[in-house]
Amino acid sequence: MNFDLSEEQVQLQDAVQRWVDKSYTFDHYRATMKHGGFDRANYSQLADLGLCGLLVAEDHGGLGMGPVEAMLVMQELGAGLVLEPLTHTFITSSVLAHFAPPELQARWLPGVASGETLAVLAWQERSSRYRYEKCVAKAAQAQEIYALTATKNIVPAGDQADAFIVPALLDGALALFWVERASAGVQTRGYLTQNGSRAADVTLNQTPATLITRDGLAALELAIDVGLAAACAQGVGLMDKTLRLTADYLNTRKQFGVAIGTFQALRHRMADMKMQLELARSMSYYATLKLGSPAAERRTALARAKVQLGQSMRFVGQQSVQLHGGIGVTDEYIGSHYFKHLTQLELSFGDTLHHLGEVSNRMGETAGVFA
Amino acid sequence: MDLAFTPEEEQFRQQVRTWVRAHLPADIAHKVHHALRLSRDDQQRWAKILGQKGWLGFGWPTQFGGPGWSAIQKHLFEEECALAGAPRIVPFGPVMVAPVIMAFGTPEQQQRFLPGIASGEVWWSQGYSEPGSGSDLASVKCRAELCGDHYLVNGQKTWTTLGQYGEWIFCLVRTATDCKPQAGISFLLIDMKSPGVSVRPIVLLDGEPEVNEVFFDNVKVPVNNLIGEENKGWTYAKHLLSHERTNIADVNRSKRELERLKRIAKIEGVWDPAVSGPAAGRFRDQIALLEVDVVALEMLVLRVLSAEKSGKNSLDIAGLLKIRGSEIQQRYAELMMLAAGPFALPLIHEAMDAGWQGDLVDGRLVGFVGDALHCAPLASSYFNLRKTTIYGGSNEVQRNIVAQTVLG
Repeated sequence: MNFDLSEEQVQLQDAVQRWVDKSYTFDHYRATMKHGGFDRANYSQLADLGLCGLLVAEDHGGLGMGPVEAMLVMQELGAGLVLEPLTHTFITSSVLAHFAPPELQARWLPGVASGETLAVLAWQERSSRYRYEKCVAKAAQAQEIYALTATKNIVPAGDQADAFIVPALLDGALALFWVERASAGVQTRGYLTQNGSRAADVTLNQTPATLITRDGLAALELAIDVGLAAACAQGVGLMDKTLRLTADYLNTRKQFGVAIGTFQALRHRMADMKMQLELARSMSYYATLKLGSPAAERRTALARAKVQLGQSMRFVGQQSVQLHGGIGVTDEYIGSHYFKHLTQLELSFGDTLHHLGEVSNRMGETAGVFA
Repeated sequence: MDLAFTPEEEQFRQQVRTWVRAHLPADIAHKVHHALRLSRDDQQRWAKILGQKGWLGFGWPTQFGGPGWSAIQKHLFEEECALAGAPRIVPFGPVMVAPVIMAFGTPEQQQRFLPGIASGEVWWSQGYSEPGSGSDLASVKCRAELCGDHYLVNGQKTWTTLGQYGEWIFCLVRTATDCKPQAGISFLLIDMKSPGVSVRPIVLLDGEPEVNEVFFDNVKVPVNNLIGEENKGWTYAKHLLSHERTNIADVNRSKRELERLKRIAKIEGVWDPAVSGPAAGRFRDQIALLEVDVVALEMLVLRVLSAEKSGKNSLDIAGLLKIRGSEIQQRYAELMMLAAGPFALPLIHEAMDAGWQGDLVDGRLVGFVGDALHCAPLASSYFNLRKTTIYGGSNEVQRNIVAQTVLG
């Protein structure tokens, strides 16, 4: 039991942090948002850092690293308000590595690792809300080829991505498919989301697709859990930075002739925010370190983590705005963007109440980290 | 990063588990698992069993006869004790005063006091708070005047937990007034059988005299009962407060009590919405929320332990443990009471004593009040545990400390 980072892990963290500081400034972030919330050049830079191949095996051109490294990267990208959906690259890498047949892994993973292929999970449907197992999308088989008919909503960078991982019903059971955006019958309609990142509705009409796995539910569960762990880490990065911004503000802003950070009511609020941050960080570690556990244990752990993160992110975000006063509700101030990112994350991959329901349903006799 | 304990640590846990299960008296474990009253004898019996094994001073280094365990071993020991239903070790002797005697006492004082603490023979109490000195502890007024070979102590201590059983008490006393308050405090060990010491119990919300006032009326205390130097007591007290950081979170006990909460919820019909309707679902979600809180607290504790193992500073998160741990203790007690609902209301003191009926059927004391006598201690526990956010530095004072780490 230890939570120390190895030298290599610290180096990785530093490298990502340096890149964010140098290349992903607030101005750059704003420019990206203005140009639609996704910039392929930014994504290529992530690839140049090796991050797109972080979880891809070395045989396929990746770095062959694991959940802890992914967590560290997502923390830094969170802290830097990075809009490009690396979370989905982690999802794609994990799902393909665990569920795709070897020849398909060999076909797709090198492109994923190099950043040439951006593949995102397209699971959200209007009627599913957070229940990914509810699926209307249908797949039909004609010899070797499958044809998909589906409408998927809020697909990250959906009109820019090269491929989608799409859950659809095949013979009544959930299966996972690989769909290329350039294929016949694909239509996309892109838009900004609340935090400035890009998403799209993706409709597939008799679109040719390649089967990844018929074990669709298990694969989708893994996909969601990888996404949850990434979201938790991102949330920790966002909250950590939010706390630092707020502390700086409280120590600089003067009212009644003194720094407002001397007022006990505000100091206690900061203490409560610090509490929420550290509980969240603890649960982000927990989520990360449970990703490799058997599915049932992993699912419970990830649900517990998101309950903590959801509560923490909402509290820290709201209180940060409150403690900043007027400046906190302006678009001009960087802090307000952290609040929006935190809010968006709470509503991603299942919100607090959804996951509380999961925890509640799975609750057993015992309790604790190891139960 | 690794969540698993090492094979050596797991082996250690197993050894402790086997020993505790074999030596913890069943009647004591029964009381703990059902939140029944523990007598002085219950506490002493378990303390002496641990003392014989050399584990009462479980945090002690080997040079003073302790096991010399690492922070993680100490954590595992406490966890195994808590889950088995052992009473919490009364901390005043082995956990609080002993480290101060080891760090600042003379070899004579160490030989004189430590064996009785290690064996569990001598019951120690804590004399810190005074009527006018709660959170502002440095303002203590209880005076000790040097008169040749002894101090003459006059004044009052209060909130002395289980002071009615105390044989010795360690006190912060005022030995100088012409200086900063912190610079005029001394650390004195006082025999409670000395003439002039009197103890008056204070009955708390749960009807139990858990704490006491202790009065000192011209009490003569030999000079060689002074720890370290005169007027340096505040430093020693701070050493004491910093000594045990993770155990104040009491997460192991919270894990045990969360399991008990689930058992109570099942008996009281607020566990399974399929059986008991939608209100059970809402109640169950509250338990689920608490379960998340407990796991998060345990992870926080493990992070502090990991930092200690690596010799890293974890002060900024260690300060959070007391706040969160105490809030969780209050929450499980609250939910247990709410689970029982109206059956938590009858105030039946006898039902809080073990052996009053002795006839437990499927975990229930049968008799009257709808056979719900197992609910008798629940409201009392709820009332009792309101103390946790007040003692040991109120949670508001703790927030000041945490804010200091963030804001400077």
